[in-house]
Amino acid sequence: MRVIANMNVCQGHARCEDLCPEVFSTDAIEGKVVIEQPEFPPELEEKVRMAVRNCPEGALRIAKGTGV
Amino acid sequence: MSFYPQSPVHIPSELVLDFDFFDVPADVSDPVQIWHGLVRRGAPPIFYTPRNGGHWVFLRYSDIAEAYRNHEIFSTHKAQIPPLEPYPVLQPNGVDPPQHDVFRKILAPMFTPLAVRRMTDGLQHRAEGLVSGFAAKSGCDFVKEYAAKFPTGTFLELFGLPEERLPEFLRISDTFFRSTDPDIRAANLLEIFEVLEALFREKERNPGSDIASTVVQSRDADGNPFPWTDIINCGFLLFVAGLDTVTNTMAYVWRYLATSPDARQKFRDRLDDPSAFLLAIEELMRINAVSNIYRRVTHDCEFKGVQFRRNDRVVLPNTVANRDQSVFKEPQTIDLDRKVNNHVTFGLGPHRCIGSHLAKREIMISLQEWLRQIPEFELDPDQDAESVFGGPVMGFTSLKLRW
Repeated sequence: MRVIANMNVCQGHARCEDLCPEVFSTDAIEGKVVIEQPEFPPELEEKVRMAVRNCPEGALRIAKGTGV
Repeated sequence: MSFYPQSPVHIPSELVLDFDFFDVPADVSDPVQIWHGLVRRGAPPIFYTPRNGGHWVFLRYSDIAEAYRNHEIFSTHKAQIPPLEPYPVLQPNGVDPPQHDVFRKILAPMFTPLAVRRMTDGLQHRAEGLVSGFAAKSGCDFVKEYAAKFPTGTFLELFGLPEERLPEFLRISDTFFRSTDPDIRAANLLEIFEVLEALFREKERNPGSDIASTVVQSRDADGNPFPWTDIINCGFLLFVAGLDTVTNTMAYVWRYLATSPDARQKFRDRLDDPSAFLLAIEELMRINAVSNIYRRVTHDCEFKGVQFRRNDRVVLPNTVANRDQSVFKEPQTIDLDRKVNNHVTFGLGPHRCIGSHLAKREIMISLQEWLRQIPEFELDPDQDAESVFGGPVMGFTSLKLRW
């Protein structure tokens, strides 16, 4: 599974980074999401799902498989 | 009988309520309750009040979220309630995209999570110094001795101003946020602009690594300096946005903790686990949303079946959105382990509060340090019941605690 960010929607709330720093960080210019590990390991699935559900802008989503 | 203004004729009477959000009735001990009282009374989700120059109020999370994101209808430009002119056009929050993006981009790198993490030592030092100043006593006025001083001291540091100016800044910000006398207000506004003028001129001559220096040295796409008025108004925004909001959120947080031994224990248990501490802070951010945000309608239009006219004002009460039961499970319950917490305390969309990460870190560090030095505390029964206020930022002029 992989996680995808819609950068047009991300406003830099950084909730994802707070909830799952293994997968998400933020950049130094605008503070928007940087996905460090788009294809995250299964043991992080629950944390990634919480990050996705807690994005106030709905900018994140999980896609099945490794394709887009 | 008090004067009751008329509503414009285009608004159907079933959408009109008599509601003044600046007015906190004597029997209300928490200004947030005036908003939740509306929901309890079954107010329409979008209604109009003729008070304060006349304005709309949105009560549903979904409508508030949509208004935040739709600057083509709901502009931040000249949105004051009651309508107020002349009023500085705050940079960047008083302008809409794409103009908004210019100053936003200047400020953004200084307020990213990364930049804010670098401020930790300074915040820690400030919190430690302030708390140790009164910890040995048996009580304090929390607002005056901690919640006002902490963000104002932070502002001075970020702007490259010396700590000795704290009393002066506390005085001008107190007048700015609390005075209702028009003459005092006018003189105070002039004083703030004089201070900012002197500050930016000084930083222009002797730049440092502070925010004021960065703003004054910024250049537009053609390499030219920005209009001086924009620079000053950007300073004014940072002054307005970062002081009162943090102060009042802190007052709400401590007021709750003073009455909840369980919550104090939960936070003490998490003192050595910053991410668990932050998660619990997030819930206090949801439940203690102090800001009621203004927007101005840009053109005659229909939104959610309601007719709006150009220049109509709208209030987006974050506290109401944050306790909308269609979004939050048991919304009135404070659950420090809440899993899904999409609160709108910092707004949404392009104008999302740029200082949110700093605000959260200020609250986190000020609370950690307090709990280390003052693990147990309670409300002082001598608390003055008259110390509450409503309006765009709600809060308390005084909060007496004892331990």
